[in-house]
Amino acid sequence: MAHEARSAALRELFAPLVGALGYKFTPDQELADFLLEQEAVLEETKGAPYCPCQVRTHRREHDMTIVCPCIPYHRAHFDAMRRCWCGLFVHRDVTDPGDLPQIAASELGIEG
Amino acid sequence: MTDSWIKVADEGAVADGGLLAVYPCGLGLLLVKAGGTVYAVANRCAHMACPLEAGACDGFVITCPCHDWRFDVRTGAFVEAPEISIPTYPVRVAGGEVFVEL
Amino acid sequence: MNDPVFVYALSTCPWCRKAKQYFEENDVVFEAVDVDLLADDESDRLADEAFTLSGSRAYPVVKIGAEVIVGYAPERYAQLLGIAT
Repeated sequence: MAHEARSAALRELFAPLVGALGYKFTPDQELADFLLEQEAVLEETKGAPYCPCQVRTHRREHDMTIVCPCIPYHRAHFDAMRRCWCGLFVHRDVTDPGDLPQIAASELGIEG
Repeated sequence: MTDSWIKVADEGAVADGGLLAVYPCGLGLLLVKAGGTVYAVANRCAHMACPLEAGACDGFVITCPCHDWRFDVRTGAFVEAPEISIPTYPVRVAGGEVFVEL
Repeated sequence: MNDPVFVYALSTCPWCRKAKQYFEENDVVFEAVDVDLLADDESDRLADEAFTLSGSRAYPVVKIGAEVIVGYAPERYAQLLGIAT
């Protein structure tokens, strides 16, 4: 993994933050490693560890709301799914992340 | 004052709405003057440890220059999720000098 | 021939890969584009197109006929395409 060191650093930085929000890293280690590597690449190439599954608009007020961990900016949506959109984080009580589907915010009646 | 109060700046060095990085005992702090009162917070964003001194202060809210995380300088709370915060330190102004308790 | 299927994807997103994989494995004819790998202007155009359809900046955005699904949702895809699950 070319960005192993930075991926590990991001994990260290984010763990206490998401813990305070009631989340944890997904127990799906392979998924977590893949997503963290994508974030390390995005940080290097685009300037910030953006969510690998949300698109940037080049409007700062939007793009800063998809910098990982973006849970604070999408709290109602992610709380309803019990996971964040890309799946890097799940609610602290989740043991099987495979059971948690992606559901569009609009389908949950939540402003995305 | 007890020994834990350390002079960090002259009062005039912090303008209202302004920011001043100080380093008492090597600790990186940020003085912020808002609403006529001086506050001291850690000069380190809770998100990815960016120095907050290059950020902007609007009212009691300081915005990190890196990814726009916003903190209330009165409590240290992250505006979007108060479960997350930056450390704050008691401040006293006496004789035109700013003291911080560590 | 199934309803036209178009996948707006991001190369960095594993759920976009899963969506494409789902259509491949079920022999669904589909088109897909990794929006982030396009040149800037084209990338913005496609991202705006996906946003107009979905009202969301979250990916994947999957268009099946006139329906738009945000996210990896194989059961929804199957339902819309008449694939037995």
